[in-house]
Order: sequence, then structure tokens, then C-alpha cells
Amino acid sequence: MATDKELNDFLENVERRAFKQAVYAVRKDESALDIVQDAMIKLAEKYGDKPAAELPMLFQRILQTTILDYFRREKVRNTWVSLFSGFSRNDGDDDEFDILSTYEAESGSAASESTADQLERAQTLRLIDEEVQKLPTRQREAFLMRYWQDMDVAETAEAMGCSEGSVKTHCSRATHALADALRAKGIKL
Amino acid sequence: MNTDDINLAYKIRHALNEQLDTLPASTTDRLAAARAAAMARKKPEAPKTIWRKLGSVFSGPAMSRLAVAVPLLALVIGMGGVYQHEQQQQIAELAELDAAVLSDELPLTAYLDPGFNAYLESQQRSQ
Repeated sequence: MATDKELNDFLENVERRAFKQAVYAVRKDESALDIVQDAMIKLAEKYGDKPAAELPMLFQRILQTTILDYFRREKVRNTWVSLFSGFSRNDGDDDEFDILSTYEAESGSAASESTADQLERAQTLRLIDEEVQKLPTRQREAFLMRYWQDMDVAETAEAMGCSEGSVKTHCSRATHALADALRAKGIKL
Repeated sequence: MNTDDINLAYKIRHALNEQLDTLPASTTDRLAAARAAAMARKKPEAPKTIWRKLGSVFSGPAMSRLAVAVPLLALVIGMGGVYQHEQQQQIAELAELDAAVLSDELPLTAYLDPGFNAYLESQQRSQ
């Protein structure tokens, strides 16, 4: 079982990356902070007695579920808002709920921050950040878990609820998409 | 993924990590507060009793099925044992009765003889 120190160290190590992951998904800094806080509390409350080695996979699963819950709540809220605002709404797109088409970058958030007048390095980092954010959700999740959170293929597959083959495919597609996008913008890493 | 792809993935990881250092202080403070809140609500470690140890042995889908099957099997075996024991007791009692009757000096037909019964009654009366 993870000791208090192990859990604290794990959360400290993962919190900023988890925040960025949430920002990539929801595109709102405030909402992302709430999501990370919820995920941390859920992990500590429900799985605080699990071995330290299981924490990364469990935390990623909780984080992804919390992000999904956020989108579900937002969808319900948006439905009521649109009903009461009197605007007609196309119900045909209910089956295909597209996160990217629903959410716009919040002004002042990391996603929409303009750094055109900053140093070239900062601009490159921002462009990479944007390209990662543009990836399809599943590809981004797989890529970030594998290469940013240091999870192996099996752990990533378990956290995402898919097969190991799917994880490899998502990672490969994400890497190629990023390579193409960065090349198109003249960025060489 | 080939080596170039993996190299690119790790370069992107490096770039993403660099960005983490530029997070505003308000965000890192809020994350630290969230961590403290989570730690305050950490699930406490329950003392490990013998039952909890047994429970942890029987955790997992296959083991939990076994945890149901083993006591059920023990119950069936126990009930079979009790039934066998009762049968043996009954047989032993009957055998004892048969042996007593067969080893008696008085033949069984004597009890059916009315003259013998009359003799027994007269003997009881005289006593």
C-alpha cells in the first residue's frame, strides 16, 4: 500500500502534467484545475490504500473519467441553456458529440494565449502545444500517457479501456500527425 | 513506430515538459492546494485482521468464485457425512436387536403360544 509520502510524491510529480492534459481536453484552465482536483481527491479517497505502482494507471483512469463526466455535465447544461435561450437546436448531432466543435478556447487561458511577440523557442513550444491539442482525443490520450506520463503499453491500454494494439495504433498516428503538422509549419525538432 | 518516430515523440515530450515550468504561480498554487485537499482525504489504512488477509487471498474474479464454491462443497460433503453416519447407526441398532433376539434361549414362536402366555401371566400373579 502507498504511504502518505508516496502518494504525495506521486501527486506532486503528476499534477502539472495532469493539468495540461485536462486543458488539452476541455480548453479551459479553471475547469481543468477543478478536474485535476476532483481526480486527485477520488484517487486518495478510493485508492489511497493501493500499492504505489498501481497509482499512475488508476490516476489516469480517474482523470479520463472525470474529463468525460465534465463533458456530460456540460452537454446537459448546454441543452438547457439552448432550450431556455429560445434558439433552435439541431438534434441530429446528438449521436456524434464532438468535443472540439463544442468548446472554444477561453480568453486568457493557456490555449488561446498569444505569444507571437515572445522568443522563438517559446513560440515553438506554443506551436507544439497547439498541435498536441489539435490531435483527436484518443490519439492525444494515448500519446500523452505513453510518452509523457511514462506508462507502458499495457498500462495505457488498461487506463483507456482498449487493446494494446489500439494504443500502438493511436500512438503511431499521433506521432505522424504531429510530425506532419510541425513540418508544415517549418518547425524542426 | 520506427526510431525516428520515437525520437520525435521524446523531443515533443521534452518540449511539453519545458512548458510545465512556465505555468503561472496561481495555477501551481491551486494544484498544490488540490493535492493537500486530496491528502487530507486519503483512505486510511485498515488494520489487517486474519479475515482481511483471507479476503485479500480470495480477491479477484476467479478467486471470488472459488470463495463461493469451496464453502458450498464443504457443506455438501458435510451433509453426506452426516447421512452416512445416521445410516450406520440405524444398521448397528437393527443388528444389535437381531442378535439379541437370535441369541435368546426362548424361541420366537414361544411368544405366539397362548398356553405359554397364560403360564407367564400366572407366574406374574403368583409373584
